[in-house]
Amino acid sequence: MSAVPQGGRRAAVLAQQIRESAQALATLEREFPDNPAAMDYFYKLFHRVYCEGERAQPEGTLVGTTCVQVPDEIVRAAGGIPVRLCSGSHAFDQAGADFMPAKSCSLVKATLGLLQDERPAWLETLDRVVNLTTCDQKKKAGQMMEDLGCQVHHLEFPPSKDSEPARAFWRASVRDFVRAAERMTGGRVTRTSLRESIRAVSRAQAAYRRLQRLRAESPALLLGKDAFLVTNAYFFDDLERWTGAVDALVAELEARREAGVSAALRRAPRILFTGSPPVFPNLKIPVLVEQAGGVIVADETCSANRMLNDAVSVDEWNLYDMVDAVADRYLKPCTCPIFTSNGDRLRRLLDLARTHAVDGVVYQAFAGCQVYEMEHHSVSRALAEAGLPCLYVETDYSPDDVGQLSTRVEAFIESLRSRRRRSR
Amino acid sequence: MKHFAGIDIGSTAIKIALIDREERLVASSTCPSGGQFHRNAQEAFQRLLQESGMERGQIAFVTATGYGRKLYRDADEAISEITANAVGALRAGAPYGTVRTIINIGGQDSKAIRIDGDGNVVQFAMNDKCAAGTGRFLEMVARNLEIDLEELGEYHVRLDGAPPTINSTCAVFAESEIIGLLARGYSKEEVVAGVHYSIARRTVRLARRVGIEEQVYFDGGPALNHGLVTAIREELMRDLIIPDIAQITTAYGAAILSREVWAAEEGGAARTAE
Repeated sequence: MSAVPQGGRRAAVLAQQIRESAQALATLEREFPDNPAAMDYFYKLFHRVYCEGERAQPEGTLVGTTCVQVPDEIVRAAGGIPVRLCSGSHAFDQAGADFMPAKSCSLVKATLGLLQDERPAWLETLDRVVNLTTCDQKKKAGQMMEDLGCQVHHLEFPPSKDSEPARAFWRASVRDFVRAAERMTGGRVTRTSLRESIRAVSRAQAAYRRLQRLRAESPALLLGKDAFLVTNAYFFDDLERWTGAVDALVAELEARREAGVSAALRRAPRILFTGSPPVFPNLKIPVLVEQAGGVIVADETCSANRMLNDAVSVDEWNLYDMVDAVADRYLKPCTCPIFTSNGDRLRRLLDLARTHAVDGVVYQAFAGCQVYEMEHHSVSRALAEAGLPCLYVETDYSPDDVGQLSTRVEAFIESLRSRRRRSR
Repeated sequence: MKHFAGIDIGSTAIKIALIDREERLVASSTCPSGGQFHRNAQEAFQRLLQESGMERGQIAFVTATGYGRKLYRDADEAISEITANAVGALRAGAPYGTVRTIINIGGQDSKAIRIDGDGNVVQFAMNDKCAAGTGRFLEMVARNLEIDLEELGEYHVRLDGAPPTINSTCAVFAESEIIGLLARGYSKEEVVAGVHYSIARRTVRLARRVGIEEQVYFDGGPALNHGLVTAIREELMRDLIIPDIAQITTAYGAAILSREVWAAEEGGAARTAE
């Protein structure tokens, strides 16, 4: 469908995406000393996938997902391979701006930009997408994906999570999704295949939780920029290999702890990161925080903690019980600001701050993401009551505000340091 | 006798402050930042030393701050302008009262900072990626009205009656809104005052976000514009401290930090050596 000039423009977008990815990797890899050797797996993986266009996953039908609340276990049980399409690319963000109002979320725009023709090589054949009816922008973007030639399943999600009708609605929606997933992949969701996929995903989650527990150590053993890369790899990596690579990283960090090697100074201010998700190559704010001498020890975002912290809990290993258990896992622990009331998010933040001995919180909101922008008020109030300073940053994928943001981030880290000195 | 320097390399102007061991301001200068921050800052520093009859060797410690702080490699230390501003405002404001809230308007930022009794930053807020309500915005207005930046205050006080409301929060849209007002026959005085009140509303909203306590200290280049000062006073509904060193408060704070760091590190080392 692309005319010649259009094709030329798209190729330029792709080239720009490769360039920004290579630049971001160079920053993450070279500007910080003494990275764990086990991180090489992830640096190379990102290079292969983002710069070379290689596919990391095994043979099989790729099913694109556009939200952390799409049940991966069901896609896998149907024989599909889920790949999270949420993009952090500024090049794709600009390309997607053709479809969306100017003041809309960079992440949604970038995901649309990614799906236009002339995609990274490994995504060229992807035409099946599961789009969750979560925020308004994602809902409408799902319709636009159909215009781009994708076969889209609109997975219906309730706007609240505490009521019984919401739970029943979502369970019915996930049961429908089982059939839809089968249609997308041509496979069958069986008791055995679902049990296997639940177990494989929960092994990966267990590896993540071991890593996260190590991040509670002081001095910090792992920088946040690396932790975000690890969880981001889960979007597109082979599941078993990813789990193995995380285990290897955990083993190396444990050895480093015994040897007294840390990733940051003992008194580096410890940061909890929340809000709009950092997705490669847009790790702008985490990198600024750590260049300024802070260390991100925990996060409450849908590209990391919210994606991997909670496992499916099954009572009876029958197909219908398992499907309901999967549905519950994707509703109840979710702390997305689209929900009417979201007290769980405050509790999760305060809990992470306590268990990880956090000095301050950095709250990122993508300009145009109304729900994160709005929830900033209740979150800051709760954090202030708990005596936790919070830096609120409204930004997007463009690199042009880095100078201004570095001033704010550095001043915040400096104020956390002086606060510590006073409380000593 | 040892002296200490603070160099504030802002987006519009380079400000330099020299202090003695008693933290008295002995010399200061202001010049445009231009295109080459580093070279211009070096030259400005040399010039100030010459004018005040000092040698580079007499300056024990230099702290760079501001947008260009990392480009200035001749400094001993770099610190963000928010921390430096807090320290400078606490000291410079002391003769006037107890400073707990600072409003700063710079070339491309506006900030509100709340500090504690020791000058530590408790909370701060900054404009997000937008030039409305900053010095750049005032420059744009002056250019559109074909008057000098320094004249804005005069135009404001000449106004009789109420100014028009300027609603746009975007510098680019505000520009077309201003052109629209001129086309409808509003005078320059009215437009200038309208702009000042629009900036004042934004700035005061920023200050409310961090919480307004005790006395409010207003600094940065635009604090020299008494029309804007009047507008912020009215919006804030309380008095402001406008220091003599409005534009160099942050450089002064950086110089104080120079002295403190020097005293803690090298001063301490020297004492141990004795």
